[in-house]
Amino acid sequence: MFSRKDPLHRSDPIYAAAFIIPTLAVIAFIAFWPLGQTLYNSFFRFALMYPQSKVFVGVSNYGKLFHDPRFLNDLWNTIRFTIWSVGIETILGILIALMLNKEFKLRGFVRAAVLIPWAIPTVVSSQMWRWMYNDNYGIVNTLLMEFHIVKNPIVWLGFPSTSMPAIISVDVWKTTPFMILLILAGLQMIPKELYEAARIDGANAWQRFWSVTFPIIRPTLGIALIFRTLDAMRVFDIVYVMTKGAANTETISVYNQWVLFTKGFIAPYFGYGSAISVTIFLIISAFAFLYVKMMKIKLD
Amino acid sequence: MKKSVLLVLAMIAVLVFASFATTIVMTAGAVGREYQVLQQQIKVFEKENPGIKVVLMPMPNSSTDRYNLYVTYLSAGMPQPDVLMLDVIWPPAFANFLVNLNPYFSKDELKDFFPGAIRADTYNGKLVAAPWFIDAGLLYYRKDLLKKYGFEPPKTWDELIHEAQVISQKEGIKGFVWQGAAYEGLTCDFMEYVHSYGGAILNDKGQVVSDSPMVKKALQTMVDMIYKYKISPVGVTTYMEEETRHIFQNGDAVFMRNWPYCWPLLNGKDSKVAGKVGVEPLPEGTGFAGVHHSATLGGWQLGINKNSEHIAAAVKLIKFLTSPQQEAYKAINAGQNPSRLSVYNNPAIIKANPFYKSLWPVFKNAEPRPKSPIYAQISEILYTNVNAALTKQLTVDQAVAKITKQLKDLLGQ
Repeated sequence: MFSRKDPLHRSDPIYAAAFIIPTLAVIAFIAFWPLGQTLYNSFFRFALMYPQSKVFVGVSNYGKLFHDPRFLNDLWNTIRFTIWSVGIETILGILIALMLNKEFKLRGFVRAAVLIPWAIPTVVSSQMWRWMYNDNYGIVNTLLMEFHIVKNPIVWLGFPSTSMPAIISVDVWKTTPFMILLILAGLQMIPKELYEAARIDGANAWQRFWSVTFPIIRPTLGIALIFRTLDAMRVFDIVYVMTKGAANTETISVYNQWVLFTKGFIAPYFGYGSAISVTIFLIISAFAFLYVKMMKIKLD
Repeated sequence: MKKSVLLVLAMIAVLVFASFATTIVMTAGAVGREYQVLQQQIKVFEKENPGIKVVLMPMPNSSTDRYNLYVTYLSAGMPQPDVLMLDVIWPPAFANFLVNLNPYFSKDELKDFFPGAIRADTYNGKLVAAPWFIDAGLLYYRKDLLKKYGFEPPKTWDELIHEAQVISQKEGIKGFVWQGAAYEGLTCDFMEYVHSYGGAILNDKGQVVSDSPMVKKALQTMVDMIYKYKISPVGVTTYMEEETRHIFQNGDAVFMRNWPYCWPLLNGKDSKVAGKVGVEPLPEGTGFAGVHHSATLGGWQLGINKNSEHIAAAVKLIKFLTSPQQEAYKAINAGQNPSRLSVYNNPAIIKANPFYKSLWPVFKNAEPRPKSPIYAQISEILYTNVNAALTKQLTVDQAVAKITKQLKDLLGQ
């Protein structure tokens, strides 16, 4: 064993601190400081234009939130968006990952190709889809009319019944590859012997999935779900580019942007906007906590 | 050894020289041809003013997005952008962040600008921006198609609906395209209908008067164009300026409501409707006292960021861009109406844009939107509820009731 006097292996709190402190400082500066600032702002009533005239109002901004029909409606929109997009992405992700885990020709090529939608910046893909959904010159309507499925073009982004599904489809298209990638990594950790043993015991394909595959990929799936749910709950770019929140597609982040910038610039709503930001943060934390508990993920 | 000393000296010389050269950053729109035209103007400016470099910063097409960007720049106290291109409704909101331009423009010089634009740019007695170009809503129509079916350009909305119905059904194209997406442009369109039926949203004293039969009729007309008369595609509820222009320029619509910038583009080499387009004032309403042809006053102003480190150079740039010659150049090449009255006497610009002369009253009488530092919120109430009515989420009565209540709450009435 190493001697305690060996300078390379002694535990030196000063060295440890010297290496950790810069990292902590950076995290504190870019994450905790703005978060603390937002929390602090959320207790005041003021406009961004007149930061000198701040009035302390305690937690009343948070109380107002629950009487703001627009916030509640947008919260419901966000939850709808999250359930549908993350649900579809997870199911598609598992199915495609299982397929890509099999041996076949060009597997490497297909695995790389699947990642393309994920590599395109969200703003670009949202703009691209906005054009595809265009009622006059969009490919979606052209195809539907070509095959005589509809007579008149559908204005996808104009109405509540179609605009939310259209937005969800963009998110599914864009982030299913991320799900596939993570689940595939989980699948590759499963030793082949386990399947052999299961087969010998007479387990059918469904039993093999539930008793062998699923328990082993569950932690990976849990991490993937946390990432995706947190992302979906704070969705901003897709909605902002495609509809700006029209046709009842406004999510809490889009509303937050409006309150903080347009409204809170001149009218005393910047504190209220900060309260919305903090609430979004709390809701997302609650979801993350729930997942960690449900999926029995060990974080340490 | 000597070589390296020379090199160091040369580098110092470059650094010293560079610190004397002034760089100003200017935000710029890129709708239609305006960006390319501005680049040409900047080249001339830089030649006339050696030592000043201008960097252009293209802005998003949506005016609402530009507003949000400016909020970010200005509230952060950034020295750049130095020169800001401002929508006609913004000066009250941004007044505290802009340089007072009164000392740089003499009273006689100001008399040459459109009085409506100068009023819009003056807040608390300070001239916070200089008018750069004027906009007014116009009705573009297909001369060839109207002639083919023996129609005159419509004078009322009813005539427009009738003509659009007949022609669009026979030709299999769209009747009338306009800006119906939930954004600032819809507020402009909506105000034109309201005014044309003799209605108003706020009266002269700033009181909310939107709960009137005229306002309801105005909104009903917009809704009926889509669902009852089917002259406007349902998609107008998602269109901004450029979407409508693409359709019209592609020969897929009979009428279009848009700003003057479309004119040179519609008559450009790559346009399918070149030479077939006419321009008229927007139609008026019927059935109420006080109906009239109305156009919303639009247009863009140039202001200077209070935190700019190069205010003198920025003033030079603004004076250059708003000079009669440059305004004429811009009018001919980008189709943007001069903000100076005298430029309209220039025969070259009348030749390029014949409607400047025939539609002179439209520009002169263009109606402003409410002037208020919280204009953005007023407008949001209007376009959100109007768009909800256009997409049948609200009935006309519900939408007008909501507009009235929300405006009264906002303005504390």
